[in-house]
Amino acid sequence: MEIKLRRYSSIYIVDITGDMDMYNAGNVKNVINTMIAKNIQYYIINLENVEYMDSSGIGALIYIHSELKKKDMMLRIVNVTGSVKKVIELTKLMGYFKIAQSVKDGIEQLKELI
Amino acid sequence: MTEAKEIIVDENNKLFDKKGMFHKNFVSDFRQIRYFTLLVVQKAPPEIKEINLLEQQISEIIKNAVKHGNHNDPKKHIDVWYSFSDTHARLIVQDEGQGFKYLEEWNAFNRKRNECFQKQNFEEMAEYVSFITNKSDENDSGNALFAALEYWNGGLVFNNKRNAVAVAKYFPKKRHGLEINNNI
Repeated sequence: MEIKLRRYSSIYIVDITGDMDMYNAGNVKNVINTMIAKNIQYYIINLENVEYMDSSGIGALIYIHSELKKKDMMLRIVNVTGSVKKVIELTKLMGYFKIAQSVKDGIEQLKELI
Repeated sequence: MTEAKEIIVDENNKLFDKKGMFHKNFVSDFRQIRYFTLLVVQKAPPEIKEINLLEQQISEIIKNAVKHGNHNDPKKHIDVWYSFSDTHARLIVQDEGQGFKYLEEWNAFNRKRNECFQKQNFEEMAEYVSFITNKSDENDSGNALFAALEYWNGGLVFNNKRNAVAVAKYFPKKRHGLEINNNI
């Protein structure tokens, strides 16, 4: 798994490549925790290059969603497609997470809040 | 219809009939769970794999047995029976553990979770996103069985000791020349 960060003004985009599974999902949590410690306010998690997600990956997203919410930080999860979308739907969390279609849409939504 | 879904205990359920199923025995090695899963799922015809959804759902059942059943104890094994066709997937996984003792609590928890979902009340649902017990550790996400119960539309059944689980999913027969859902 590879996690890369890029920035659009005060919005940080976390691009994940690889499987978000029982072996790797913790890495995403660690990266976000580091960013929270640096007091970053606006996050986009880009799942465009994640083709496999299991309950640990969903667990990581739940953890991130609730940590950011507690701290009034803002998150959009984007490019939720294919079997990743299917798993989130089966877990009935599509409406629970803040999901936007694309990185561009995520940025537009977060810009409204800045 | 969806409200009635729950995990049941029924040792004599037809899902425990192992006739005609393949069998494998695996050591309780957490690092190899996805590899074991691939050994099982390679028998499935591509049309029911839904990219990797079948693989993912099987890995959750195997993970529960290795981790929560056998506590990753390398001296303990799991037994896996499986059968696939273009219209079904069946799986039975048995571990050497004490059994899923929180089954009733899980069903009650899931009922409340579904009520929140039906009302689309995601504020309240935040209380029910993860099923965590005093046996859970920080890596347990506590959400695998919610999806499993939805995915395995033919049922999710435990034996009386609750250390074996049998699941089934039935797929609609695909009509030739018509792509019903190319969006999965």
